[in-house]
Amino acid sequence: MPEVLQRYEAEIWQAIGETFAMVGMSILAAVIVGLPVGTLLFLCRKENLLESRAVFSILNLLVNTIRSFPFLLLVVFLIPFTRFIIGTAIGTAAATVPLSIIAIAHYSRLVEQSLLDVPRGVIEAAKAMGASVVEVVFKFLFVEARSGLVLGLTTSIISFISYSTIMGVVGGGGIGDFAIRYGYQQFMTDLMIYMIIIMVILVQCIQFIGTTVARVIDKR
Amino acid sequence: MIQMHDISKRFADYEAIKAVDIEVNGGEIYGIIGASGAGKSTLLRLMNLLEVPDCGEVVVDGKNLMTMKPKQLREARKSMGMIFQHFNLVANLTIYDNVEVCLQLANYPKHQRRERVMECLRFVGLAHLEKQYPQSLSGGQKQRVAIARALANEPKVLLCDEPTSSLDPHTTAEILAVLEEINRTLGVTIVIVSHEMEVIQSICHRVSVMADGSVYKTIELEPKGIPDVDHTPEYFIEKLTGEVSGDA
Ligand SMILES: Nc1ncnc2c1ncn2[C@@H]1O[C@H](COP(=O)(O)OP(=O)(O)OP(=O)(O)O)[C@@H](O)[C@H]1O
Ligand SMILES: [Mg+2]
Repeated sequence: MPEVLQRYEAEIWQAIGETFAMVGMSILAAVIVGLPVGTLLFLCRKENLLESRAVFSILNLLVNTIRSFPFLLLVVFLIPFTRFIIGTAIGTAAATVPLSIIAIAHYSRLVEQSLLDVPRGVIEAAKAMGASVVEVVFKFLFVEARSGLVLGLTTSIISFISYSTIMGVVGGGGIGDFAIRYGYQQFMTDLMIYMIIIMVILVQCIQFIGTTVARVIDKR
Repeated sequence: MIQMHDISKRFADYEAIKAVDIEVNGGEIYGIIGASGAGKSTLLRLMNLLEVPDCGEVVVDGKNLMTMKPKQLREARKSMGMIFQHFNLVANLTIYDNVEVCLQLANYPKHQRRERVMECLRFVGLAHLEKQYPQSLSGGQKQRVAIARALANEPKVLLCDEPTSSLDPHTTAEILAVLEEINRTLGVTIVIVSHEMEVIQSICHRVSVMADGSVYKTIELEPKGIPDVDHTPEYFIEKLTGEVSGDA
């Protein structure tokens, strides 16, 4: 192992751990909240199962607004909210708040788009068989859209990694922050390059896993 | 079995169905024929309230669907099968699972599901394909799976929207034979929407001719039986050239 990496091994592992914590929370938020929100966006559309102009417009506006913020501004803007939820606006835990919010907005849009790809006829058949809205969602929509949902999540996770790199501004740490503080600010260019390599490998792995899983579960 | 009384349906400012009265008797095969845009599909979809009429009433098996609560309506739909021109199978489920879904929705006793699914697949002659996915099946086979799925919960009524319109004449004949058998052996009332004369003539007992959102006339028919279509090379050559090709 190169000497710089040995010298900073503990810090590097810590940075990797912080990145995983931040991205992990973002994934949880995306799946637990973003998936239902995206499904609701889809269902509330015109001529859909839960057609509701009001709900659709509100969710749509919310998602668009969050996504149109430059992310750094969103982090700053959310500081009072973060402090309210976590008790502090500084640190890795605090960093997960803005990350989770952008994660929800990001993934819910991709969920909505995947569901739009499900042929209308399948939903028709489900309704004709007497399926309730919940049954249509779980037994038909999610089944038919599953590879799109996985690919969407893959794309999202890679974005979350990218977002997490700037969380140094609120003391969130992570690989990106480490690369800036040690590699850039202390002129250890080789260290910075190693960090970039770690990020590239991470993204490659995630994309590979996502693409493979999506392909295997796609029987269409 | 199905009574529709004074049914009208508008889409925005277009009157798709205009004050239609229709009565489908239990046990018959009822055809609905007419030009494209006449309102055939809309009328069929009104029978299980996939489309809600603006006025009038829909009574199926003695029960008024219009006054039902959503849950009751879903229950009512479970005893009405429906098949479509484009089959509408779930592509990510195996043939077996596609049929089983219908039983899950109907809360069919768990330990009897496998037997029932296989019974339905055997009925349409596809038991050996239970583990395949729809993508690997031909159009005719997909429609058979759709029929098995529609039959799984032992419906009293089977609604068919252009069930053979994306199939070739030979496969059409096969599907019609299955529908005819369902009607004859299981006593299921069948409504078939089609724009193809041969389909209606071969198996329907009565037919309503639609135009412009109205039923123009309802006619009693003597089903002619299903034509024997055998796609040998000789058949194509004869059709194309008008010559009966021998061994020459
Ligand atoms: N959801 C809808 N919204 C608006 N217009 C509709 C809708 N469904 C049907 N229509 C219109 O109602 C008319 C009747 O449609 P329908 O699908 O019932 O005709 P059809 O007789 O089944 O024709 P085809 O043979 O082409 O299937 C058409 O003019 C169609 O454009
Ligand atoms: Mg039609």
